[in-house]
Amino acid sequence: MSICQDLGLNFQQRMGANISQLERDIGSEQFPPNEHYFGLVNFGNTCYSNSVLQALYFCRPFREKVLEYKAKNKRTKETLLTCLADLFYSIATQKKKVGSIAPKKFIARLRKEKEEFDNYMQQDAHEFLNFLINHINEIILAERNQSTLKLQKTDGTKEGVTCNGTLPQSQNSDPTWVHEIFQGTLTSETRCLNCETVSSKDEHFFDLQVDVDQNTSITHCLKCFSDTETLCNDNKFKCDNCSSYQEAQKRMRVKKLPLILALHLKRFKYMEQYNRHIKVSHRVVFPLELRLFNTIDVPQSDDAVNPDRLYDLVAVVVHCGSGPNRGHYISIVKSHGFWLLFDDDMVDKIDASAIEDFYGLTSDIQKSSETGYILFYQSRDASC
Amino acid sequence: MAVQSDSGGKDDVKTQFVTREGTYRLMTLSEYSRPNRVGYTSGSGSTHVRVSLVSLPPGPAGGAPGSDGQGSDDRICFNHGKELYVYVYRGVKKAADLTKPVDKKMYKGTNPTCHDFNTVTITPESVSLIIGFSTGQIQLIDPIKKELSKLYNEERLIDKTRVTCIKWVPGSSNLFLSAHASGQLYVYNEELGCGATVPHYQLFKQGDGYSIHTCRTKSTRNPLYRWVIGAEGSCINEFAFSPCGANLAVVSQDGFLRVFHYDTMELIGRARSYFGGFLCVCWAPDGRYVVVGGEDDLVTVWSFGERRVVARGQGHRSWVSVVAFDPYVVSFAEPEHEVEEDKKSESVQCYRLGSVSQDTQLCLWDLTEDVLRPPVRARASAHLSPNSQNFSPNGIPGAKLPVKCTKTNKIGHKHAELSGNASGEPSGAKPVAKTKSNNVSTLNISVGKAKEETSGSLGVNFTQRLAGFSFGERRSDHRRNFSLTKPAEKSTTNTVALRGKSVTSDSFDPLKLIGTPSCPRFDECPVLEPLVCKKIAHERLTALLFRAEYLITACADGCVNTWARPAKAQNGDSRSRRSDRIDLVD
Repeated sequence: MSICQDLGLNFQQRMGANISQLERDIGSEQFPPNEHYFGLVNFGNTCYSNSVLQALYFCRPFREKVLEYKAKNKRTKETLLTCLADLFYSIATQKKKVGSIAPKKFIARLRKEKEEFDNYMQQDAHEFLNFLINHINEIILAERNQSTLKLQKTDGTKEGVTCNGTLPQSQNSDPTWVHEIFQGTLTSETRCLNCETVSSKDEHFFDLQVDVDQNTSITHCLKCFSDTETLCNDNKFKCDNCSSYQEAQKRMRVKKLPLILALHLKRFKYMEQYNRHIKVSHRVVFPLELRLFNTIDVPQSDDAVNPDRLYDLVAVVVHCGSGPNRGHYISIVKSHGFWLLFDDDMVDKIDASAIEDFYGLTSDIQKSSETGYILFYQSRDASC
Repeated sequence: MAVQSDSGGKDDVKTQFVTREGTYRLMTLSEYSRPNRVGYTSGSGSTHVRVSLVSLPPGPAGGAPGSDGQGSDDRICFNHGKELYVYVYRGVKKAADLTKPVDKKMYKGTNPTCHDFNTVTITPESVSLIIGFSTGQIQLIDPIKKELSKLYNEERLIDKTRVTCIKWVPGSSNLFLSAHASGQLYVYNEELGCGATVPHYQLFKQGDGYSIHTCRTKSTRNPLYRWVIGAEGSCINEFAFSPCGANLAVVSQDGFLRVFHYDTMELIGRARSYFGGFLCVCWAPDGRYVVVGGEDDLVTVWSFGERRVVARGQGHRSWVSVVAFDPYVVSFAEPEHEVEEDKKSESVQCYRLGSVSQDTQLCLWDLTEDVLRPPVRARASAHLSPNSQNFSPNGIPGAKLPVKCTKTNKIGHKHAELSGNASGEPSGAKPVAKTKSNNVSTLNISVGKAKEETSGSLGVNFTQRLAGFSFGERRSDHRRNFSLTKPAEKSTTNTVALRGKSVTSDSFDPLKLIGTPSCPRFDECPVLEPLVCKKIAHERLTALLFRAEYLITACADGCVNTWARPAKAQNGDSRSRRSDRIDLVD
């Protein structure tokens, strides 16, 4: 039945009524100037893409960078990024305030870029997000390399604001705007239980993937993420100091907080007894405002970002249904102080109190659920 | 370690738990619910199960009528979904009789959300029960006499949003307060009507982040006052009167605790959550502390005398839905943990605090005086601030500010300036560098020097820190850090005094409040661990009450449970005798 919904059967009728309703719900006076709320038409199970694209569109720093890219790159060959930029541009420059749009070119390009998405099956929204972010980043890096090869003397406009006009020393290690928006740094600290030496290793992330427990908060899930883990048996740690494999304690903490913190709730667990992935519908509450407890304070370091950084929830990709390869994705986003629900081509204004409907279920009796799957938190100091 | 957290074991719901005073046991026969509960129901839309309990005064003939000779003068009221029940509450000694509710109500199109018995007008034959609803209306009934039924805000002209908390004004026979999801708090007189028109308000009083209005009509009508509190439209989640009845603590979805002097309507203090809304609030039995819980999963202790957050409790795995002091456990002066050497003195007082959460767990906390009071370390303050000559004697532990003297603008101006610079820039441009400078400077101001004293417990030597973490010495670690908060507070209040009042919107910016007494940084404030942390239900917990012989909890599936306190006599045999007795009742 969810497939029917995905195919957008009879969406035409629903659309007409709903869209004018949205404008009425918001009110013409309250309707934010220069803002457009456009649903995305489903091309057969493309809601995984639609929901993520809407969430990203309402991550303001990301939208602005994509539109900026569009403005600066008039004539380049078609990439997934140019398709995305065209799509965002098209939404942002609509005459009408509300409506729906068909992301035809983007989907076509996506199907060309990655085999896994070249079908009409339901995909994992997180896998798509992950692919999209990484892919865009690679495009930017590739284009940057190309431009430096061509003309060493240009002033590196692609880096624009971030490098203050000076040409970066090593182009590739320099962060792209994708890095600047989504990339954070984790430090894994490992203490060898033999020699007590602590070694730490940094790794970058575009999102944090957290396990979910029943009746917990995202705060708790993030704390568990940083719980001390003992490496033993087959999983011993190669201690440089001892020059051998030793038992060790390992802990992950966030060293650099990203501008937009994307949290992926691991709701699809592989169950051996069923030989497939099962949806974990546990109730995990997520506040509209968030700080992290598992940060590491690195004084006097260039990498240090205010560990007290306060985040606001700006978008949630919601999975509806019972399993990873079935069901439906929608997204809820915050825009100019109110909340909107994007369900493919449909857009509705919702009350903030309705967000609790997407926390999950407290019992396992029900098989299907509508649950927050990817949370986008935006740093408040970036949103002014 | 102090925490006996129950991870793992899915349906591992505890029916007893141990503290140093003994074992608390779930009285399975004293479970109150709707009469014919059909098994386990997933609690959707019934998240606001609340419990009110009242003791009727003894009547001339001994047992109160309506108690059916069951020998109890206690009445319990709870709501679940569309229903509201009032039962004779028979405590721990007798099993609950669910067949004969004193009163039961079933509502259409609206759900009861909160209620309160009037303890002033109560007689053996009558009691006034005020009930708030999810659609904003208010009803006054007498569940014993049953002839009384009045409605307020019936046409929803006063407020259309959910009543989140309703309470009689302490000592008043006819005044009650109702808080709404709209962020407004109304004062009603039960004897007055609500008028047939939308009330026209006029401003009566205004302060930092709140305003109070009266109705502009010839004849007095309800509401007598309208308090508009906090950011526009941010739900008031709960309020609580101080034990003396003079002060009113209000917590909202905007993340603030605001404490008002009720009669003068002055704001006398506030605190900000670490993040997210504050959901619940309570007062210490002596009125010296206000405790709040919220969406940061924390229990936050605010000192009324010092107007600052003095401690945070970390133990819940989800949002904290109710906090309550146990006024019957204060005499256990000896702290559970060994206090560092000479600090141990007879004067150490200990508060017992309870909290329940959406994580289905009950936590009990000991708030010991040595944690709550700033330790004697005036020295630390000397080299922390350039304004040190302005220091008032407030830094000395135990010295309390007079109630009136503190005004509300306790924002750290240094923080304000720094983050002000940062946030003024267009978004997206070099955020990393901005926040860095902000962070480093504030650190220098508030904790800079003191950091060295704590020898590696903060940042500098993280090897040690990691070691401490792994082996669970966090508690002592935090206590050491505790001395830092005091100086930080002084420097900020002083700057404010010098620079005068700031813009209102600024003083509510959580980015500027972090690191101030209203919202210390996480490592600037002692972090408590729970004495007990037990999963006691399948559903989210929504109520917690302490009584002399028992405590009561309720959860979202509409179950109200009673937990017997440890037996007073020797533990062993009296315990088994007690459970025998319960068995016999059945």
